[in-house]
Amino acid sequence: MVEIGTHTKKFQKELNAGTSSLVLLSVMSRSDEPMYGYQIAKMLEESAPDIPMMKQGTLYPVLRSLEENGLLESTVEPSVSGPPRRYYKITKDGRAALDEWMELWKQTKKFVDSILKG
Amino acid sequence: MFKSIEDFLDALKNEMKDADPALVQDALADAREHLTMALKASKEKQPEISEADALQTIIEGYGSPEETASAYKEVERRTSPVLSQALKPQSILGRFFGVYLDPRAWGALLYMLIAFVTGVFYFSWAVTGVSVSLSFLIFIFGFPVALLFLISIRGLALLEGRLVEALLGIRMPRRPLFTHQGMKWLDRLKTLLQDRQTWLMLLYMVVQFVLGIVYFVLIVTVLSFSLAFIAIPVLQEVFHQGAIMWGSGIRYAFPTWTYPLWVIGGFLLWTSFMNIARGVGQLHGKFAKWILVGE
Repeated sequence: MVEIGTHTKKFQKELNAGTSSLVLLSVMSRSDEPMYGYQIAKMLEESAPDIPMMKQGTLYPVLRSLEENGLLESTVEPSVSGPPRRYYKITKDGRAALDEWMELWKQTKKFVDSILKG
Repeated sequence: MFKSIEDFLDALKNEMKDADPALVQDALADAREHLTMALKASKEKQPEISEADALQTIIEGYGSPEETASAYKEVERRTSPVLSQALKPQSILGRFFGVYLDPRAWGALLYMLIAFVTGVFYFSWAVTGVSVSLSFLIFIFGFPVALLFLISIRGLALLEGRLVEALLGIRMPRRPLFTHQGMKWLDRLKTLLQDRQTWLMLLYMVVQFVLGIVYFVLIVTVLSFSLAFIAIPVLQEVFHQGAIMWGSGIRYAFPTWTYPLWVIGGFLLWTSFMNIARGVGQLHGKFAKWILVGE
């Protein structure tokens, strides 16, 4: 049983590697205000409380890589009570990418579903 | 399991000890930001729960140090620094002349020019800051001035890091340096003063002044020599000027058969310099990383 567990864990990790970028971009596109990591993590948790899909800590490196690719932009703001916060905002390129990714996701979902149904 | 945020950060640091120090700094800054916020929210919601218990629930959601470390390493593996995918021709000649296609060489050249301006600025900032802080220390308001100056050095070091990464392609921190939070400003000043990193950064700002001048002089000298060599045929044939002239009217013109040699020589000189500049850029990047990140 242990072995199946590790396989599942690995599969989940691989799935998350792709979907987390899509999920984060989608969350960012719905917000007009810049958001910081903790806010985003909270929002994900609240919108799907029963499905703990990914660890919150794994969101941050993805946010950073999205920023490096120009899909998000960020500013650091000092906070009174604690470390400075990094606020992320979606860019125009990010919105364009999201439209394409959503289309791709729909197709992927349809394809996988139809294969699984047999 | 973890009694405080610092415990978790130490474990995360330990988990990432073989990773790039710049990446470690990023991961620590992100984790600190998240855990501090989450802990504060949890304290407001359930004040009766102990910090360790609250932290345990938070870390369950955030991921263990091991999971967090592997997520950073994974993403870093997929995204490499801006200039790292440089072209690499095979032969020695190809590599020598391929320097014109290598973004790192052009980046290094630009960096060496910019280093002149930033070097002068860093030096003035460091000298002014140190003398103003020291002389104000006899007054009570000297302490905040000194603190502000030391913090400004950290900021400048981060900025310099971004410049080094963009132009030289060496991975540098993308977040402010890892410091313990929630201290009084006098303690903060003490920690900053005791931190070896602060003094190394100050040293860098002074050294950069010298290096900036050297780089600038090198570029201007080699560029003028190369261009002058290439221009010799034009100078003599089109403008009818001697290549070497003294004020008293003595002039010396090179014979026509040497023209190709001068042009080729000038071109080779500049090409060699581009190769050297690329090497100097990489060396400078390593030096900056060693001093500013403490590798």
